[in-house]
Amino acid sequence: MERNFNSSDVLDHLTRERLAELESAPRRGLRLFCDYLVCFMPVVFGALALAEYLLVPNLKGNTTTSTYTYFIIALTLTAAAAFVLALVRQKFFYVLRHKAPFYAFVFALLAGYDYMTLKTGTLVLPYFPWADQILNAMWQDRAYLLDCTLNSLKLLFTGYFSGAFLGLLTGTACGCSKTIDYWVSPFTKLIGAIPSPTWIPIVMVIASSLFAGSVFIIALGVWYALTIATITGIRNIDHSFYDAAKTLGAKPHQLVLHVALPFAVPNILQGLTQGMSSACLVLITAEMVGVESGLGWYVSWQKSWAQYGKMYAAIVVLCVVFVAVNWGLNKIRRRLLRWQEGVTQ
Amino acid sequence: MMPANILELNHVHKSFARTETENVTQALSDINFTVRDGEFLSIVGPSGCGKSTIMRLIAGLIFPTAGTIKLNGEVIQGTNPERGMVFQKPTLFPWLTVEQNLTFSARMMNTAKRSEYKSEVERLLEMAGLAEFRHDFPHQLSGGMAQRLALIRTMINQPKVFLLDEPLGALDAFTRMNMQDELLRLWQRSGHIVLMVTHDIDEALYLGTRVLVMAPRPGRIRADLVNDMSYPRSRTSDEFLHWRKRVLEMLDFGHNFN
Repeated sequence: MERNFNSSDVLDHLTRERLAELESAPRRGLRLFCDYLVCFMPVVFGALALAEYLLVPNLKGNTTTSTYTYFIIALTLTAAAAFVLALVRQKFFYVLRHKAPFYAFVFALLAGYDYMTLKTGTLVLPYFPWADQILNAMWQDRAYLLDCTLNSLKLLFTGYFSGAFLGLLTGTACGCSKTIDYWVSPFTKLIGAIPSPTWIPIVMVIASSLFAGSVFIIALGVWYALTIATITGIRNIDHSFYDAAKTLGAKPHQLVLHVALPFAVPNILQGLTQGMSSACLVLITAEMVGVESGLGWYVSWQKSWAQYGKMYAAIVVLCVVFVAVNWGLNKIRRRLLRWQEGVTQ
Repeated sequence: MMPANILELNHVHKSFARTETENVTQALSDINFTVRDGEFLSIVGPSGCGKSTIMRLIAGLIFPTAGTIKLNGEVIQGTNPERGMVFQKPTLFPWLTVEQNLTFSARMMNTAKRSEYKSEVERLLEMAGLAEFRHDFPHQLSGGMAQRLALIRTMINQPKVFLLDEPLGALDAFTRMNMQDELLRLWQRSGHIVLMVTHDIDEALYLGTRVLVMAPRPGRIRADLVNDMSYPRSRTSDEFLHWRKRVLEMLDFGHNFN
C-alpha cells in the first residue's frame, strides 16, 4: 500500500489517533458512510421506540402519561447530540462507532418491553408494570427514594471502607510476617468459610444498633476478601525484587510499603471488586431482613404492599447505584494499573 | 585524597540446607581473595560453582557459614548501598516509571532533596540514553535499555563495590558487546572495585584486570589470574586467544583445541 511519507513533520509529531489512522486501512466511500450510519442508529431506534409508544394503541384499560414520552425523547436527543459530537471530534467518533449498536439495541429492548406489557399484556400486571408506571412511581416518591439511596450508600461505604482498611492491614501483616500469619490465618479461614449473610440473625440480636450490626457484617465480607487478596499478592512476589530493593538501601518497613504492597496492588484491586459485590449482597439482605431504611428495605416494603411499580423503581435505582459504584472502582483500577497495560500494537 | 577501598574475603565457607533431605550442600569452600580500588575482578566457572553466592555474600543478602568478609576492615553486616548489585534480570520495579526506578534508592534513604541529586539523575538518564523514556514503564523498554537502567539505578549511589551478577547474560550478542564497553568506561571513570560474575570466558577476559577461575562442588577458587593485557583489548588478538586457551584448559575444556 502506498502512503505519502514525504513530510517528516507529520511523523515527528504523531498523536495516538493519528498513528491509528495511518496504520489502519484508510476508510473511504461506502465503508465510511456505513460507519456514520451505525453511529446514527441509536437516534433511529429512539424514534422507533417513541413511535411504538405513541402510535400503537394501548391494551384496553391501560392508561399512560407523557412521562415516558419525555424520557424517550431525552434519551434520543442525547443520542443525536452524541452523533453531532462524533461528526466534529474524531476521537469521539471511534468511541461511538463501537458503542452505537448496543445503544440502538437498548432502545429496541425498551420498545419490546413496552409492547409486551402496555400494548399487548403478554407480561401481566401487577408483576410487570410498564416503563411509564415505573418512571412515574420513581418521580412521585423521589424524595423518599433519594433518602433511602443515601441511607444505603452510607451503610455500604461505612462497612466497605472499614472492612477494606482492616483487610488491607491484616493481609499485609500476614503476608509479611510468618508469626502473625500463624496465629491469624486459621481464624481467617474459619470466618471466611461462612457466607456473610449467615451472620445477620446473630448480629441483629447482639449488636447495639442495627446500623452498627449491618456495618459489621458488610465489613466482615470485605475484610475477608481483602485479607486473602493481599496475602496472595504479597506471597506471589518474586524475591529478586526484595533483593534489589535491599541493595538499594530499603529498610524492612520500606520493603513492605514500597515493594510488597505495590506489587500486590493488582490482587488488592481484585479483592476490592470482589468485596464490593459481597458488600452489595449483604447490604440488600440486611436491609430486607432488619434495617428499617435503605433501598433493600424499600423494595421489600413496597412488595408487601403489592406496589410493584415502586418496587421496580427502587430496583432500577439500585442497579444505577451499583453500576455507578463499580464504574468508579474500575476507573480507579485502570488508573492504578497503568503500569500493567501492554504496549498497544 | 580518598583512602583506597579494600575488600577482603578470608576463609569464607557457605552451606545451604536442602529442602527435601536432612543433608546440607556445601556451596563455597575456603574462599580467599582481596580486591582493591581500581581492580575489575571477573569470576568465571561452570554453573553450580557458587559464583552468584559470592556476590550475594558480599552484597550482604546472605551470611557466610564460616569466615569473614570485610570492606575497609569492617565485617559486612547486611545490605548497604555502598555495595551496589546488578542482577541477571534487571529487577526493575514494574509499577514505577524509568525515572522513579532510578530515584528509588534516594527515596528509600531520604537523599532525594540534595541539590546535586537532580542534575545527577539527568546526567545518568542522558548517559544511558533513557532521557526520552523517563515516563515509560519498564515493560516498554528493550532488554538492553532495561539492563542499562538497572546499572545506573545502582550507580547513582556511587558504590564502593560494584557487584555484577551476570548482568549481560540475557542480552543478545551485539547489545552485549556494546554494554561491555560501557561497563569498562564506567569502571575506568569511577576507579572503584568491580566484581563481575560471568559464564562467558571472552567477557571475563575482555573486561577483567583479574580473572578468578572457579571449580564446582564445592565451589572453590582454581586460579586467580592477573590479566595484564592493555585496554582497549582486542577479542581477536593472539594474546587474547592465548589467554582464552589457558582459561578453557583450566576449566577442563579445550583439550582438543589444537
